[in-house]
Amino acid sequence: MSPAGTARGEDSLIPAAAGIGLRFAHHAEVVETRPAVAWFEVHAENYFGGGSVRRYLHAVRRDYPLSLHGVGLSLGSAEPLDCRHLSRLAELVRAVEPGLISEHLSWSVVGGQYLGDLLPLPLTQEALAVVCRHVDQTQALLKRRILVENPSTYLQFGHSTIPEWEFMAAVAARTGCGILCDVNNIFVSASNHGWDPIVYLDGLPRQAVAEIHLAGHALVTLDNGSVLRIDNHGSPVAREVWALYEEALRRFGAQPTLIEWDTDIAPLAVLLAEAARAAACLERVRETAHAFAA
Amino acid sequence: MPSLLELQRQMQAQLWRPAGLDGVDGVDGLDGLHGARASLAPGASLELALRIGIYRNTCIGTLVNALRLSFPAVRRLVGADFFEAAARSFIEQSVPRSAYLDEYGADFPAFLAAFPPAATLVYLSDVAQLEWAVSRVLHADDAAGVSLAQLSALGEAAWPAMSFVPHPALSLLQSQHPADLIWRAVLEQDEAAMASIDPAPGTVYLLIERDTSGLAVRRLAAAAWHFTSALCAGRPLYAALGDVPDEQNHAILAEHLARGRFIQFRLNDPPSAACEAPHSPERPAAHSPGRSPEHLPGDAPL
Repeated sequence: MSPAGTARGEDSLIPAAAGIGLRFAHHAEVVETRPAVAWFEVHAENYFGGGSVRRYLHAVRRDYPLSLHGVGLSLGSAEPLDCRHLSRLAELVRAVEPGLISEHLSWSVVGGQYLGDLLPLPLTQEALAVVCRHVDQTQALLKRRILVENPSTYLQFGHSTIPEWEFMAAVAARTGCGILCDVNNIFVSASNHGWDPIVYLDGLPRQAVAEIHLAGHALVTLDNGSVLRIDNHGSPVAREVWALYEEALRRFGAQPTLIEWDTDIAPLAVLLAEAARAAACLERVRETAHAFAA
Repeated sequence: MPSLLELQRQMQAQLWRPAGLDGVDGVDGLDGLHGARASLAPGASLELALRIGIYRNTCIGTLVNALRLSFPAVRRLVGADFFEAAARSFIEQSVPRSAYLDEYGADFPAFLAAFPPAATLVYLSDVAQLEWAVSRVLHADDAAGVSLAQLSALGEAAWPAMSFVPHPALSLLQSQHPADLIWRAVLEQDEAAMASIDPAPGTVYLLIERDTSGLAVRRLAAAAWHFTSALCAGRPLYAALGDVPDEQNHAILAEHLARGRFIQFRLNDPPSAACEAPHSPERPAAHSPGRSPEHLPGDAPL
């Protein structure tokens, strides 16, 4: 099923430029100083309520294109989606008219309990059917295409039958949703599970990719000596992830690129510097494209 | 091979085992995760336990953080370590029903009241109760208040049967300790104020709302609070006046209207009728506005 068309007007479209994840700590500074950044993305659930938080969002939306990124819809839950959550999301979408709406390939709700993290899915035909059903339902309710983000995972299931990149491609093909390609998550998951990140990129359908995420991660040593990469969004983007980003741009062209930083939040100036670096990569891709076209 | 639902229930059990909340229990605790354990591709059971521990830490951390944000004064009163331990204990028995975590923690005040390690801090639960009300007020929707002009246009005969819908960002609270003074002193780190508070029990009546400065926590006289409660509960005016007869009531109602504390009104049937009349703010006045009957606001000072 293909959903209806996307943005409602030029102002709300997200440009193929660098954006920043907007956190509460930066609300006032963004509204007061109006930094030179192309767009912002927020976590949808943070704005389900009213009051000053919602007012800040409207103030930002007045001056910038906005993307809504959900963490709690739980597309991979075996049980039905939470209707109240969906209607809150729909209300927020109506209120701010975001240029993009995204969620995760993961689950976080079972038995009416929200577990507080993005949990790993077994990559099976059953899970594929569940995720597609929930993406269809969400797109039908919102009358919008959504993007589904590839996860970072610390656990695989031996009974998985579908490589994650093929799973992502299948969800996009069956539902018409877009793909939010989180390059840091690809790097983290590939490192944790022994995948080749280039194979992952090559497995994503170019025409479905509509946004890219970049973030920092940490190396963690477990009690038994194993080393894992943890997607903690608490540091600058790693060198290897910048390199993988260039590979992604080569395959997908210039795409809206978001700098995420959610823990140990850095000053706005630091995020702007990361965004500027992404913008430089995007500019090089555009120059290369023009050179070929000339 | 487990179904998706079975697997998710097993993961939930692993993440939410009370004994497991403080760390990794080791291999024995994972018997419940049959499907994943039996079929996990490379890695021993210990590796599985450790990797699940990563998710457990994030789950717990997310919820503890939500409680930290909603109860900053409580956290200051008991200290960070005690708060974390209390929060973890609370999380074991009270799970969030939704990903909108500003709604998580309604039961934390009651939990604290029954939490033995906090027993000596007799006012702690009351402060938590106030903080929860503050949090709800801060996150409530905006709405426009009904004006005196709108109500006056209906004429004095309509007033006794009128009932009101309170603003979503309005909360009323009774506290058995001076929770408002403690809350304010703790958050302002005002040690002198803290030292001067008499913690002896005695009911205080609080009204919490948003105003131009952000948030206001006001003390009301007992009668004013009870009258306001009755109105906020949707009691028709004649009934609220009957419940709490007090000569200040008309002034109190005038202030509520001036501050936009009611967002809707309904016209009920007068006391003698059997059923309620439908609400219609456009209904023509039965009498022209003019003389203000005794218990109704007219030009009372704001």
